[in-house]
Amino acid sequence: MTNEKIITVEHLEKTFGDHRVLKDINLEVNHGEVLSIIGASGSGKSTLLRCINLLEHPTNGDIKFHQQSILTSDFDLTDYQAKVGMVFQSFNLFNNLNVLENCMIGQTTVLKRDPAQAKKVALEQLDKVAMSPYVNAKPAQLSGGQKQRVGIARAVSMNPEVLLFDEPTSALDPEMVDDVLDSMRALAHTGLTMILVTHEMAFARDISDHVVFMDQGVIAEEGSAEAIFTNPQKERTQTFLKRYLQGGMR
Amino acid sequence: MKQQHKFLVWLGLLFFALLAIPTHTSQAADNTFKVGMEAGYPPFNWTQTDSSNGAVQIQGSSSYAGGYDVQMAKKVAKSLGKKLVVVKTSWDGLAPALTSGKIDAIIAGMSPTPERRKTIDFSDTYYKSQLVIIVRKNGKYADATKLSDFKNAKLTGQLNTYHYTALNQIKGVIKEPAMKDFPSMRVALESGTIDGYVSEKPEGISVTRANPNVKMLEFSGTAGFHTNPADTDLAIGLRKNDPDKERINAALAKISAHERDQIMTTAVEQQPQSKSSGNWVIALLKQYGGMLASGTGITLLISMVGTIVGFIIGLLVGILRTIPRTGSKARRGLLRVMDWLLSVYIEVFRGTPMIVQAAVVYYGAAQAFGWNMNRLAAALVIVSVNTGAYLAEIMRGGIIAVDAGQFEAAHALGMTHLQTMNKIILPQAIRNSLPAVTNEFVINIKDTSVLSVISVSELFFQGSTIAGQNFQFFHTYLIISAIYLILTFTITRILRAIERHMAGPQNYNLMANQDQVSVPKVNSEVE
Repeated sequence: MTNEKIITVEHLEKTFGDHRVLKDINLEVNHGEVLSIIGASGSGKSTLLRCINLLEHPTNGDIKFHQQSILTSDFDLTDYQAKVGMVFQSFNLFNNLNVLENCMIGQTTVLKRDPAQAKKVALEQLDKVAMSPYVNAKPAQLSGGQKQRVGIARAVSMNPEVLLFDEPTSALDPEMVDDVLDSMRALAHTGLTMILVTHEMAFARDISDHVVFMDQGVIAEEGSAEAIFTNPQKERTQTFLKRYLQGGMR
Repeated sequence: MKQQHKFLVWLGLLFFALLAIPTHTSQAADNTFKVGMEAGYPPFNWTQTDSSNGAVQIQGSSSYAGGYDVQMAKKVAKSLGKKLVVVKTSWDGLAPALTSGKIDAIIAGMSPTPERRKTIDFSDTYYKSQLVIIVRKNGKYADATKLSDFKNAKLTGQLNTYHYTALNQIKGVIKEPAMKDFPSMRVALESGTIDGYVSEKPEGISVTRANPNVKMLEFSGTAGFHTNPADTDLAIGLRKNDPDKERINAALAKISAHERDQIMTTAVEQQPQSKSSGNWVIALLKQYGGMLASGTGITLLISMVGTIVGFIIGLLVGILRTIPRTGSKARRGLLRVMDWLLSVYIEVFRGTPMIVQAAVVYYGAAQAFGWNMNRLAAALVIVSVNTGAYLAEIMRGGIIAVDAGQFEAAHALGMTHLQTMNKIILPQAIRNSLPAVTNEFVINIKDTSVLSVISVSELFFQGSTIAGQNFQFFHTYLIISAIYLILTFTITRILRAIERHMAGPQNYNLMANQDQVSVPKVNSEVE
C-alpha cells in the first residue's frame, strides 16, 4: 500500500425522488488498500459503491480518480469503467455467453485485445478461481458460488486498478461462501485495490486495511479494521456489531 | 452467424430490387390493350388451364381467360391494332384499377349505371341482358312465376351490383347480405343458407348447365323486375376522355346482334366443366396441381420475406425505442419526437386491418399519386410493414425483459451502449422473442390470403379461382386447408429447431487440461 490516492469522494449526495440516500459522504481510497463498507441494509452502502463506478449518477458532490473529476463531460467514462471493475451481488453473468466468453468479451470489445491474448488471460483468471473446467458452460448451468467466481474472473481479466464488490456473497448458500471468499482473499494478497460492501464481518476484519461503517446515508464511523471491530467508539456502531456478533461471526 | 447475416443481406437486396421494378407493368403500355375482368363469371369470363377455344393468357399467370368478354375484347383489340392483355382483377378492384391506369378497359359484364358514370366512362352496349333468379330445383321456390312469390324467401345478389338493389322490388323478401362473387352465391345456394340469388340470364344458363340441382327462373313483363337499360345493358368501362372511345364503339357496331348471340351460345357451351373421374383428390391435383403449387410458392415467398423484413424493421424500431433518454436536452427532444413517430407507425399498422392497408397502398397510391406498384412488390411491402409494426412491440418487450443487471455488468466493464446492445442484450432479446416471431410467421402464412383483394395470386386466390371453375368448393378448399396446415406445421417445427440451436447444448463438457495453464483445482464444490 502506498499513499497514492486512487479514488476520492467529496461531499457526495444522492437522492432518489425525495429520499436522500447519501448525505455528504467523504472518502479516500489509496493504492493497494482494501476498504470494507459495512452497515445495515438501506444504509446507503451499495448506492455509494454504484456511484463510484457511475451505475448511479451522483446528485451532488464530486468523485475523483487519480485526482481528476469523473463527473466532467470530457472525462473518458468507458476507459474509467474499464479500470474500475465490479462484482455484483446477483452475479450478472451474460446469459447468452459461456464462461470463457464472459471473461473475454470485455477484453476484446473494450480493451481491444486480440482474441488469443484475451483467451489466455481469461483462462489464467478462471484457473485462479478453479473454474477453468467449466469454460464451455452457460451461466444457467452453474451454481451460485461458481457463477460468482466466474464474475470475479471476468472482472479481474480486465486488469482493473480498482475492484468493487457489491455484497458478493449475500446471494449464496452458506456452503458456497467460503470458496468465493477464498478467491477474494487471494486477490487482496496480490495488492489489488478493493472496495468491498459486505455483511461478512469476520472476513472484513481479516482482510481490510480500512473499514467504514455507514448508517442512514452518512459515514457514522471509520478507522482501521482493528479499531472498528474491537473498539468501536460510536453507540450505533456498537449496536450494529453486537447484533451481528450475537448471530455468530463467521 | 456470419452466414445468416449474408442471407439477410441478400434477402434485403431482393426485396428492394422488387420495389424497384414496379412500374414496368403499366408503362410499357402503348401497344397493348389491357382489359380487366374477374375471370370468374362464366359465361362472360372464366379461368382455364390451357389456351383452347381461343382463350388468352392472364397477365403474370400460367392460366388463361376465356368467355364472351374475352372474345369481344379480342375483336376490339384487333380493330385498335393493339395486343390484348387480360388482367385478372377482383370485381371491387376493377374501377380503381381502371382509374389508376393499371388497366385500359373493363370488359367484365359491367352495366353502365349512373353511379359508375361518375367515376368512369362507358362504351356503347356490347351485350343486352335480363335479370333472373337462380333457385334450387327441389327447393320451395322452384315453381315461382312472379316476384311476389318470393315473400319470405332469403335472397341475395353480388355486392355493388344492381342485381342486389333490384331485390328492393320484391315485397316481403328477406334480403341477405350481398356477396362478393358468384362462386360464393352458388355455394350458399347449394348449402341452403340462401333460397336464391339474382343474376343475369347468361350466368343463369351457365350455372344450370354446370350444376343440375339448380334452376333458373325467368319472368316475363310485369311479373318480373323493372329494369333500366342503364342496368341491363353491358358496356365496356373506359377512363374518362379516353381517346380510343370512338374507335371502340365503331368496333362494337361492326358486331351484329346475331353474331353476339352466337358468341354467347358458344361461350356457354365452352365454359369449363369439372372433370370428375376416379379419386377426387388425385383428379383435382392433376388438373390444378400447377396453380396450387404456384399459389403455395407465392404464399410462402410473401410470408417469408414479410416476416424476415418485418423482423428487421421490428428489431430496428425496438432498438430505437429503447435508447435511454439521457444526455443533452436536444438529444432527448430528438429521441422523444422519433419515439412519437414510431408509435404512430405502430398504432396505425396494428390498428387497421391488413386487407384495408393493401387496398389503400395498392389502389390508393395509384389513384392519389399515380404511383404504380408491381402487385407482388406491393404485397411484400404491406406484409413487411405490417409485421414490422407487430414485431416492434415484441422486440421492445424482449429488450426490456432482459435483466437490468445485464446492462449494468456490461457498463461496468466499460462497454458502450451500442456494444452492450449488440453483444449482450440483442442476442438475448432475439432469442426471447423467437416464439413470438414464429407465431407471426404462422399468422402471415394464413393472412396473406387477404391479399387476394389486390389480386396477388397466392394460395387462397388460386383456390377460389379453381373453385370458381370446377364448382367443387368443399373439395378445393379442403385441399387448400391441408396445404396451409402442412406449411404452418412444417415452419413451426423448423423454427423450433432454430430456437433449440440458439439455446446451445443442454450439457457442457468439463474441459480436460489441454488448453489450460495449470491443473484445475476443483475442490469440494462439484455437486
